[in-house]
Amino acid sequence: MINQKDLRPKDMGRSDEQLIKLELDQFMPLLAPYDKPGMEPPLTDPKPAWKEKYCTSLDGYVGIDTLVRPKSKEEEDEFVRKFLSGLEKIFSDANNGVLEPLLLTFEYCAKCNTCSEACHIYKATGDNELYRPIYRSEVLRKIMKKYFTPSGKLLGGFVGADIDVNWETIARLGELAYRCNLCRRCAQTCPLGLDNAILTKEIRKIFSQEMGIAPTPLHTKGTMLQIKTGSSTGLSKPAFLDTLEFLEEDTEEKFGIKLKFPVDKKGADILVLHNAGEFMAWPENPVAFAILFDAAGLNWTLSSEIMGYDSVNYGLWYDDYQAKQIALMQMKVAKDFGVNRIVVAECGHAHKASMVVGDRMAYGDAKIPVESCLPLLWDMVKSKRLILDPSKNNFPVTLHDPCNVVRQLGIVEPQRNVLKAICPQFREMTPHGVDNYCCGGGSGFAIMNSQNFPQFRDQVASRMKFNQILGAFQDTIEDASIPKYICAPCSNCKGAMRAILEHYEVTEKFNVQYGGLVELMVNALVSMKKPFLEFLE
Amino acid sequence: MFLSLIAYLSILLFVGISVYKAYEFAKMPLHGRMELYPVPKEKGFEHGGSFYEEVAWWSKPHEVSHVREISEMVKEIFFIKTLFENQRPFWWISYALHLGIYFIMAWTILLVMGAVSELNGILVAANSLSIWGLLIFYLSVATGIIGLALATLGSGFLFLRRLFDKTLKKYTTPQEYFNLLLLFAALFTGVLTWGSDLTFHNARVVTANLVTFTPFAASGLVTLHIILVGIMLIYIPTSKMSHYVGKYFTFHTVLWDNSPNVKGSAVEQKVKKASTFRPTTSWSAPHIKPPSVPK
Repeated sequence: MINQKDLRPKDMGRSDEQLIKLELDQFMPLLAPYDKPGMEPPLTDPKPAWKEKYCTSLDGYVGIDTLVRPKSKEEEDEFVRKFLSGLEKIFSDANNGVLEPLLLTFEYCAKCNTCSEACHIYKATGDNELYRPIYRSEVLRKIMKKYFTPSGKLLGGFVGADIDVNWETIARLGELAYRCNLCRRCAQTCPLGLDNAILTKEIRKIFSQEMGIAPTPLHTKGTMLQIKTGSSTGLSKPAFLDTLEFLEEDTEEKFGIKLKFPVDKKGADILVLHNAGEFMAWPENPVAFAILFDAAGLNWTLSSEIMGYDSVNYGLWYDDYQAKQIALMQMKVAKDFGVNRIVVAECGHAHKASMVVGDRMAYGDAKIPVESCLPLLWDMVKSKRLILDPSKNNFPVTLHDPCNVVRQLGIVEPQRNVLKAICPQFREMTPHGVDNYCCGGGSGFAIMNSQNFPQFRDQVASRMKFNQILGAFQDTIEDASIPKYICAPCSNCKGAMRAILEHYEVTEKFNVQYGGLVELMVNALVSMKKPFLEFLE
Repeated sequence: MFLSLIAYLSILLFVGISVYKAYEFAKMPLHGRMELYPVPKEKGFEHGGSFYEEVAWWSKPHEVSHVREISEMVKEIFFIKTLFENQRPFWWISYALHLGIYFIMAWTILLVMGAVSELNGILVAANSLSIWGLLIFYLSVATGIIGLALATLGSGFLFLRRLFDKTLKKYTTPQEYFNLLLLFAALFTGVLTWGSDLTFHNARVVTANLVTFTPFAASGLVTLHIILVGIMLIYIPTSKMSHYVGKYFTFHTVLWDNSPNVKGSAVEQKVKKASTFRPTTSWSAPHIKPPSVPK
């Protein structure tokens, strides 16, 4: 094991059982009341059985549960060979959709190290060398130079081609690609406009598209399941329709509202695409959407067609092939349906998938306009189509900005305009808007729950966000009689919030709640006879 | 003659290779959108937002402000704004080098102008009776002194910082030290060559000889300096120091390119064209089907 401060990129090839070990006392301190001893659970070592089966040799955590140790020298060699084959392919015409940005980032890094200060994982771990954004990029460059550039072959160490490449090197690099949330905050600060997240994603891609290795929640139980059943939750059409029926009954029972979800409605203007996880984990969110859209008089519908009721596209995080398949299937459903536009509900990566990444996957009549729900929600408030009473939301509220919505789509103001209008005690996190920090659940982390990975997510990746939350509520955090609400208009971010609050027992001890934007809006509706937010009852 | 040849050839290759690199990037295949906000050209969304903040955005004109875009470019090119905002200590030395290079470029042009003026009988000196001669003289003195001093100090300190900073050291390859040393050597020999005559009269004489292919008795130092500058000019565009080319593309075609693929747009034509391409290489994972054969 190496002291992380002495770690160098070429150490990835070392034969150590575990390259570095994270120590809680080196981490960025948490704010009050979590600054007191005993408030934070200790970090644990990986189980011995995991060490034998998986790659725990990076930092002790297992992100890729399908990356298993080889049983023979042949398997080991084949693993390395496949990675190198994939590495060569990312610079070929098989990768045209990323080639230019990839080459620019690959070639021009001046290693000025400006990006490190922007990375929430690097800062959360007390500037741990392993998580420095250029660390992983530099390992990839070294391997590439060693095998595929004339200068690397001729001059070796002089140009940086000085790394030992073996199973451990490649497996560690694969794991390291899942220690970055792909939030692209580092790219905002690069003086040359380079983007380490591109290289991280390319490593994930090589593993998936060439080697067939990806975390089960993203691939087998993610994109593959979605392509097969229509939803990454496995929710079938009959189950989806049953769920809606149940929610209608439940809404009437709880709030006395006769709700009817429009499904496959002919002549509808809007097709609303939810993250199907909402129906399972946070059903109040699609219910709130339905109440608001009906109250505003919108002509909308849900689809029960396969691929028409789940907006997710996990391909974005690890596999372009899967991303494209899903995006095109979703587009086709909407097109066949004949609506005028798709409105993406509160799911950040679905926003990016359908509005930005999917934008150049088709053209002409195959496309249908896609917009975010956030401007539409603000428009309802601004135009007074909803009668709202802000005093119903008179408790501290802060806003988490989903990276995909803000930094990667430029939707910054509508959601905070709504909150300013309906939440008298709204306060921003620091920093916020396009400068926000990732929730720690980005790029798949929120749903990756195998082995000890949740610990890395909750105590490392989400650490900066947790501090931001504590910071926003410092005035009332220790008063458990006052509810405090984190508004996170994104399913994955909500997943990360749920994990943080559970891990640190924040709801139980300090009455910090979380949810989306629409729940707050419905709660403020004058027509609601009782609070929509359960914690207010 | 030999030195003239080096001077002309190195400038030609510097420009030629740089333009070729830019051309290679410009003709690269259409890539997916990867914009990152704030995008300065977004008119009306100066808080870092975009046209996506509008309901039915596709039905409204996408207004862009080229003035803001150019203003951001100018700040980036002439002041390295992003580095200034995000890593001030490093900015001081990096900016010294870059500003020094800009001054040296101006100085070189002024030396050529001064040399041509003198060949045409205009005295370029402090006692010149010609306003033009005086202007060239004083501008040459100012740009030459500032440029050589800043660029030499900047490259020297960048080298030393990489050598002694514990973090940067881990990531710096021998080649990257070589890059900085080459810059420093070319600049430092410049200081030694021209520093003894800060009127730069000698520099103008040498420039006149170089420009006109006139043989002259060059000292060992002048020869070394011209050869080093020549090597540097040829080497820069072949190395990652050619980031002056890459930076244009990272910002303009990646981070700031948020043009949506709407019906009738130029982007739509590009997407249409790109969709006919069939890659010659394919991925091997079991879930991937090979690309279809073109019809």
